[in-house]
Amino acid sequence: MRPDEKLSAYLDGELDAAASVELEREMAQNPALRAACERMRELSRTIREKGDYFRRPAKAPRRSSWTRLAPAFAAVLALGIGIGFFVAQPREDAAPGAEAIAAHVRATLGGHLIDVASSDQHSVKPWLSARLPFSPPVPELSQEGFVLAGARLDALAGQPAAVLVYRRRQHVIDVFVAPGSAGASSFARNGFNVETFGRDGMRYWLVSDLNRNELQDLSRLLSQR
Amino acid sequence: MSERERFERMVLPHVDAAYNLARWLTRNDHDADDVLQDAMLRAYRFFPALRGEPRPWLLAIVRNACWSWLQANRPAELDSSDDAASDAPGPEALAAREFDRAALNQAIAALPVPFREALVLRELEDLSYKEIARIAGVPIGTVMSRLARARRLLAEALRPSAAAPRLRLHK
Repeated sequence: MRPDEKLSAYLDGELDAAASVELEREMAQNPALRAACERMRELSRTIREKGDYFRRPAKAPRRSSWTRLAPAFAAVLALGIGIGFFVAQPREDAAPGAEAIAAHVRATLGGHLIDVASSDQHSVKPWLSARLPFSPPVPELSQEGFVLAGARLDALAGQPAAVLVYRRRQHVIDVFVAPGSAGASSFARNGFNVETFGRDGMRYWLVSDLNRNELQDLSRLLSQR
Repeated sequence: MSERERFERMVLPHVDAAYNLARWLTRNDHDADDVLQDAMLRAYRFFPALRGEPRPWLLAIVRNACWSWLQANRPAELDSSDDAASDAPGPEALAAREFDRAALNQAIAALPVPFREALVLRELEDLSYKEIARIAGVPIGTVMSRLARARRLLAEALRPSAAAPRLRLHK
């Protein structure tokens, strides 16, 4: 195995225990190797944060030729309805959304909005992963105007959920994250806007009294990083 | 629950990941959309054979649809040699910094298909080497070397003083 393959596999958590221990020992004595490891880690982090995650254009002009698809016409009919419905016409998943609003209101009223106050994603993420059976991504979005205020633990549908708390101007935005998946949708209730989508095995609910456009901006940022 | 309902519940939630992969491999919205439609039809047809996780299963179908499409429409893109070149520098030469977003995405798009696909599946879909190997139809060792190579190529392409870009640009 080449040295960079070993490093790369090590950072991906794909090197076996013995080889990892050996590599760590090597790194302890070799500052250049340690630095190379850090640079590779940084590269990987950058790709995850800044790599494009493409979404299906909502109303892409369909170019697909029916002649080519003709043999599968029946299947298209059967399925087109399904995909079209799912992708283009987001279902309102009202129950968990309403629950997220209730949790948001409870937290705001009770003044228990934040368990760990920090604008540093590197302290929020480990805090959450240490307390949950999953590890939600905690993106840094201050440049885009959403300042991370901290995080708390909450529950949705009886399951533990992470809540990332962002601020924009005087508005508080709760981002609930829990394992699951769903299509994207949005709705408003009792003066709160809710955005939801699924990504990488996680389901997100954004709840805020922030206006819908800006909340959708945040939803886009979170779903595309 | 009907077969179609099961399909909608299990497979359709992963259509975003499927599109992202198709988009990265074809590098174009329209082609990605076409390939995705074909792939979804195939997925629907093969759905009864699905065992295990639907996401890697769907991504494998999308990946194969992309390769067939590239073979038919842009065969030159698949010619890139896939050997772990030994002339490449070691890890010391990696120089990751705060990259410009556009430069980063251009550099990923310029990677030869096998490396680009491994990188997208690993970094953007967070799949394991085993899952990537199954999707790409190659041994785990190959995934390991492709990923290392992809990262090396990226780091080189993004190095500020990169005198001559080593990546072949396909377009």
